[in-house]
Amino acid sequence: MEEEYEILENTVKDFNTKYVDNNSMKLENDEMGKEFVKMLADQGFLSMTYQPGAGKNTDIKAFSIVLENLAKSAPAISLKTLLTNSFLSIVNEQSILDEVAKGEKSGTVTFSDLLVGKGQNGKLLIENNRVKGEKQFVLGSDSDFIVTTLDTGELVLLRSGFKVGKKHKRLGFRSVGFASIVVDSDDFKVIDKDGTRMLQKLYEDLSVPVAAMSLGMSEGVSQKALDYAKVRTAFGHYLKDFQPLAFELTSQIAEMEILKKYFHDIVSSTVNQKEAMFLKVKALALAKDISKTSLQIHGGYGYLEDFGVEKFYRDSMALSVLFHHEEKDMEKLSGMVFESRAGFV
Amino acid sequence: MDFELSDDVKGAIARAKDFADKYFTEEIAERADSEEQFPSDIVAISKKEKILDFSNPWQVLVTIEELVRRDPGLGISVTISAFGAEIFMFFGNDAQKEKYMNPVFAGKKSLGLGVTEASGGSDVASITTEAKLDGDSYILNGGKMFISNGQIADNFLVLARTSPAPSPEKKHRGLSVFVVDAKSPGFGINKLHGKLGVRATNTAELIFDNVRVPKENMVGEEGKGFYYIMTFFNISRIYVAAQGLGIAHGALDRLIEYSKKYADHSETGELKEDMQLAIAEIATRVEATRNITYKAASYLFKFTPNPIVTSMAKFYAAESAVFSTQKAMELMSLHGLTSDLERFFRDAKILDIWEGTTEVEKLIITRMMLKEGGA
Repeated sequence: MEEEYEILENTVKDFNTKYVDNNSMKLENDEMGKEFVKMLADQGFLSMTYQPGAGKNTDIKAFSIVLENLAKSAPAISLKTLLTNSFLSIVNEQSILDEVAKGEKSGTVTFSDLLVGKGQNGKLLIENNRVKGEKQFVLGSDSDFIVTTLDTGELVLLRSGFKVGKKHKRLGFRSVGFASIVVDSDDFKVIDKDGTRMLQKLYEDLSVPVAAMSLGMSEGVSQKALDYAKVRTAFGHYLKDFQPLAFELTSQIAEMEILKKYFHDIVSSTVNQKEAMFLKVKALALAKDISKTSLQIHGGYGYLEDFGVEKFYRDSMALSVLFHHEEKDMEKLSGMVFESRAGFV
Repeated sequence: MDFELSDDVKGAIARAKDFADKYFTEEIAERADSEEQFPSDIVAISKKEKILDFSNPWQVLVTIEELVRRDPGLGISVTISAFGAEIFMFFGNDAQKEKYMNPVFAGKKSLGLGVTEASGGSDVASITTEAKLDGDSYILNGGKMFISNGQIADNFLVLARTSPAPSPEKKHRGLSVFVVDAKSPGFGINKLHGKLGVRATNTAELIFDNVRVPKENMVGEEGKGFYYIMTFFNISRIYVAAQGLGIAHGALDRLIEYSKKYADHSETGELKEDMQLAIAEIATRVEATRNITYKAASYLFKFTPNPIVTSMAKFYAAESAVFSTQKAMELMSLHGLTSDLERFFRDAKILDIWEGTTEVEKLIITRMMLKEGGA
């Protein structure tokens, strides 16, 4: 890895050691708090897609390294970073960009329109120059600014005039708001008339960052399993000495290392969409599998939040639902593999 | 061979459905889960209405399945109050049955089983809790971990070492079972918080600090505790399999319900093949789990338990519960993530761990098959 990326990786690791590792349960279960978000911003993690004074410029490799390493310790913090940077990449209002990049305000983008069918996601329309209605499944619903799509297809920035509605169940990422929003706002801006297309592009661009998060989660949780299996004994032997546990974890770590190499190849050149989706699909699946194995290795202790393993089990599943659609993504990917529409009868 | 359920068993299923309809509301289930609150009021009603008819084990089995299918946390809480009672049934004396077992079956008392320790897990023979004879009592010192009904039970059946193991290979000898009153001086209970799932159930750590237990509270013979506990696990694992069956069936219910609505919203108005195949696979697993669980139960209820089939049922049911909830969640997307399915997903994973991990069950199957020549 080039020196600048190594420095960046070490910066994130130091940040985790200083501010996250001893406090991760609170940061991941309760609200992160403005002070912590400001610290994330001060490190530059929230402005990987936009830097105040320098403008927009995403280094996908740097962005992915940040997400991967934050996810090793605290997936919810990595998600917060992903959402904030997604917001900054799509909004063009200078004052808002600066406030969010500095951690003074927060912003999010809703992707739920791409994940559920029409009419299943609330109703949001412009009536008499006001955006009115309700939008379901807003990840980052506690944000100050929200980018979302209307039923008529426009992508809009809501600056104010919305409030949190029904709070959804939160399998994972519990310190990131997840609720519907109720909107009655005249303080909005239409970003793009063809919002679905723009949102789809952003969603596709997130394949590598989401894969980076998944790989970080796999690395974080598998390290916990490795550490535990070396010291925990059962039936007079270390857990690592039992074939079922050792072989399964080793096999999954082998898969992880292969994916990491593939990941670094992808981010070191121009990102190819098909390869990015290959990576996302496989990295998400691995994160779920390796979290399950790691929890199993920890036994009853893995089932308790104190050991910091069960969160990966929840978060890996939540991530695979929030940023991947089993059917839609696979139809798209199959189309690229077959070089024609595939997965449809 | 007859796969038809008796009218009594069908009646138990219907009563369980009615009970769940009435008391297992989403609001109650969600509150119990989020607040990690044991549903004492619902458990009390279930006892009053005699939802579990202990005179017929088939009825107990299908009631567990049906209640857990509706909500795992509430279902297990309602059906676990007699946990360990079979140890009295098979190994207790008449006085113990009268004093400790009958009130549990009558719904007047709750029982807990203290076997697992912080350092032990699946390795039951390695427990370190000690019971030393002192006059006409035993003095218990040590601790137990992950104990269901920890704060709820009136009495606990506790496995403790009463004599040193003759050799490291024979650690399972020298262990005995005692019934311990939860109000005994020196008996401490710490509730465990922050479980991934089954958060309505009460789980605790038990601490024995010079707890004095009357000599007559030893259940069965001294030194045979390991055998008693293993015998009990061959019973309880069948009920855990019923829990797995209930969870897998619950996931299937939710996926089918979703798929009907999904078809209305799809481009063609039809259900895509990927979803159809998933439903078929989960439904087949549910059916296979039911058959193997009922087969294991059939052996047990005729007093000819088959540990091989029991372990097969337990591990397969656990894996089916985890598989089904995960698959349903992936296919239902945000609708699954924001529905009670997410609770099922969290709840399912414990079945791979408690009452013997999936790995331990598989080892039991193979070792017994090699020893005995087949299931």
